[in-house]
Amino acid sequence: MADDSRGGFAALDPCVHCGFCLPACPTYLATGDEADSPRGRILLMRALERGELRADDPALGQHLDACLGCRGCEGACPSGVGYGRGLESARERITATVGLPAAARFVLGIFARRRWWRPAVTMARWFRETGLARRFRGPTRTGFLFGMLDATTPDRPEPTPRPPRARSAPRGTVALFRGCVMDGLFDHVHEATRRTLIVNGYTVVEVEGQVCCGALHDHAGDRAAARALARRNVAAFLGQADWIVVNSAGCGALLKDLGHLLGSPEAEALGRSVRDVTELLAAAGPVTGGPVELEACYDPPCHLQHAQRVHREPLAVLDAIPGLRLRQLPGADRCCGSAGIYGALHPEMSRAVLDEKVAAIAAASPPPDVVLTGNPGCLMQIGAGLGAADLPIPVAHPVELLDRSYRAAGWYDPASPS
Amino acid sequence: MSGADPDLVRALGAIVGPRWVKIRDAERRTYEADGLPTHASVPMVAVLPGSKAEVIAIVRLLHERRVAWVARGAGTGLSGGALADAETVLIPLTRMNKILGIDPTARRAVIEPGVVNARLSEAAAPFGLGYAPDPSSQAACTIGGNVAENAGGPHCLKYGATTAHVVALEVVLPDGSLATLGCPQGEPWGPDLVGLFVGSEGMFGIALEITVRLEPVPAAVRTLLADFGSVRAATESVGAIIASGIVPAALELLDQACVRAVEASIYAAGYPTDAAAVLLVELDGTRAAVEAETMMVERFLTEAGARTIRSAETAEARARLWQGRKKAFGAMGRIAPDLVVQDAVVPRSALPDVLDTITEVGRRYDLTIANVFHAGDGNLHPNICYDHRDLALRERVHRASKEIMEACVAAGGSITGEHGVGADKMEYMPLIFDPTSLATMCAVRRAFDPAERANPRKVVPTRYCREWRPEPIR
Repeated sequence: MADDSRGGFAALDPCVHCGFCLPACPTYLATGDEADSPRGRILLMRALERGELRADDPALGQHLDACLGCRGCEGACPSGVGYGRGLESARERITATVGLPAAARFVLGIFARRRWWRPAVTMARWFRETGLARRFRGPTRTGFLFGMLDATTPDRPEPTPRPPRARSAPRGTVALFRGCVMDGLFDHVHEATRRTLIVNGYTVVEVEGQVCCGALHDHAGDRAAARALARRNVAAFLGQADWIVVNSAGCGALLKDLGHLLGSPEAEALGRSVRDVTELLAAAGPVTGGPVELEACYDPPCHLQHAQRVHREPLAVLDAIPGLRLRQLPGADRCCGSAGIYGALHPEMSRAVLDEKVAAIAAASPPPDVVLTGNPGCLMQIGAGLGAADLPIPVAHPVELLDRSYRAAGWYDPASPS
Repeated sequence: MSGADPDLVRALGAIVGPRWVKIRDAERRTYEADGLPTHASVPMVAVLPGSKAEVIAIVRLLHERRVAWVARGAGTGLSGGALADAETVLIPLTRMNKILGIDPTARRAVIEPGVVNARLSEAAAPFGLGYAPDPSSQAACTIGGNVAENAGGPHCLKYGATTAHVVALEVVLPDGSLATLGCPQGEPWGPDLVGLFVGSEGMFGIALEITVRLEPVPAAVRTLLADFGSVRAATESVGAIIASGIVPAALELLDQACVRAVEASIYAAGYPTDAAAVLLVELDGTRAAVEAETMMVERFLTEAGARTIRSAETAEARARLWQGRKKAFGAMGRIAPDLVVQDAVVPRSALPDVLDTITEVGRRYDLTIANVFHAGDGNLHPNICYDHRDLALRERVHRASKEIMEACVAAGGSITGEHGVGADKMEYMPLIFDPTSLATMCAVRRAFDPAERANPRKVVPTRYCREWRPEPIR
């Protein structure tokens, strides 16, 4: 069945169209239209491969573009259909024929170029720090964008403490993958990642010359741009540490798959060394911290649970926080509608998918004090959705809470005993 | 683009909004199949109504324009029943997915046809109630589709199929008129019209509101997994359990090919892959009854030659055992990209011999046949796995399939237990019904739909409805 000439399309062969994927698909649940379902899209991809539908067919493009790429269907498929691989090949073929939409080209261009990215981040941070983002957030399209920005606000401003001491046996060296959005707007999560890893025995190193992972480009069908970015990252990270640690599920999924993207042995080897931060922490225990008395809901990012198949580790990390009362709400395993730049290109569908999640959070009893998820897109999307619904519930990355727990234990105090 | 009359498309758009009228090739193509891999047919138009009023308006419009139509749920059926051709309008009812009310005291729920089966049980769970019919596709299939097919499922052994759980229906008939069948309180006087409508495979109209019975969640449940060195031994234990008078909640068998496909999937349930067959037995009721019956069933299983018997007592362990069974059909893609699935029912006493015959047919035609079925009901589901690109193989599959069906009928069986006749089993109808019976079925169909525009050319072979004329059987 492995037939390289057919690219990722061969991965669709095991589909017997049983339809068990339908309830796992957020867009099908939103519209009820099989053209917006995994099974329907597989039929479209197969027709594209066989040349029965043209790559520039507008209806084909519309319904494949409307896919979030969450791969929730893969987690429901008894036959192990490689939906993601098929979609990747279909999008590549469509992009090669019709090119990317102008809006996508513009957004992706910003991520790929430092000289555009820097001013964009500076402006975004200014809106966030002046409180204007919070003031302007709301249910309108612009209000939602401000809400996304506001959701990146750290839970409280705090002086960066000195590097903590390890409280666990030495476990090796990890290189921190900084990424683009994470680096620009979630540097507080990077700091929490660094501190909690050090407490758990890891040595964290910084790597120069790293760039955006290219996942957004890859998902949009711009594989050339994704490959160009991936090559620079391989050059930067090769031989730098035992593992590459990533705290963004979307970036982690792409980086773990570097071998597939580039096809070189170095990329393959590097891809194998990539870990989500929760995987490394869970492997170390993690060390139990001080009490954090909170009601929390955990919402697994699609690219962690479906693409990386990491399920248990984030829960193990949160389990190390005494006092935390953790729940998963109905539909927690479903996509929030963020899906990279999807929200910018398909705002209506994105919001329809998000509404279900916000409704579940609003109905939760007791109401959560915080919603946890390990991906920047999801943090911003859910945060903005809560803002738009006037629900004053903050969002946070799981390591931020572990970090708070370690702080509560007093381990970051200058006079902390070892 | 579709060959649909632009005027019809405009009129449909005026009812549901143009967004919900699918005429582009790519969109219509996504409705070309149901869960059965062997049939495909692209509809002229797919129109997705969002309310009862819209469904009624669509049916009236199509009646006026003399256009045929097919109603569809989630498209998980296994008889090619929910397919429409190039002259026929497809009406998916997935947008009509509201639970209109649950009355815990009367143990009734009123729902729209597009409600997904498993969602109803979830909504009823806080009241300690559930909806009993549980087809394997329950996570995806709609109750409207269940009504059309009289869907079964593992737990129908004890609780009965869909028809035992529907008490009232509000339907739109093919001429656009409305009718209320049955009544929520229970048995109505007069003919059993609910019984007639449930299982009519979309030929009598569209259910707009369905009133169903809910059952109390049993106080105790025990699920046993027994594995056997031969399929015959497993089926013999089934006969012994039923003969004792115990009615298990479910009694399911998976053979080795099936077990291996499931165990390779994300739904791996921990079934032993070296067993020739595994049997799932579920007992429910009061705690004392379940304990007593468990002891008896374990004895029957051991006497029939079970190698090991495992008992799942926690809800999680039970769910895991069941996931493997329920997702087995979907896992068949691991064996080969295409499959034929049958749905014959045979007397339980004939199970051991019929299964031997199926194995023998598989060997003779050199085919992989995976069996997963409702053993307690004698409802077989042999899956013949193949690759459609191999033409010679396709021919062998067709012949083997026919031979298996004939063997089931010869053993005193029937051609479908729960999947329905649809397009797939129409050619087998004359195997079990004489021309007079088939003509009677046509007459009943015409009482509802004189022009036969609702789900046309399915279920009953047309030649029995009109003057007889020879027609090649496809």
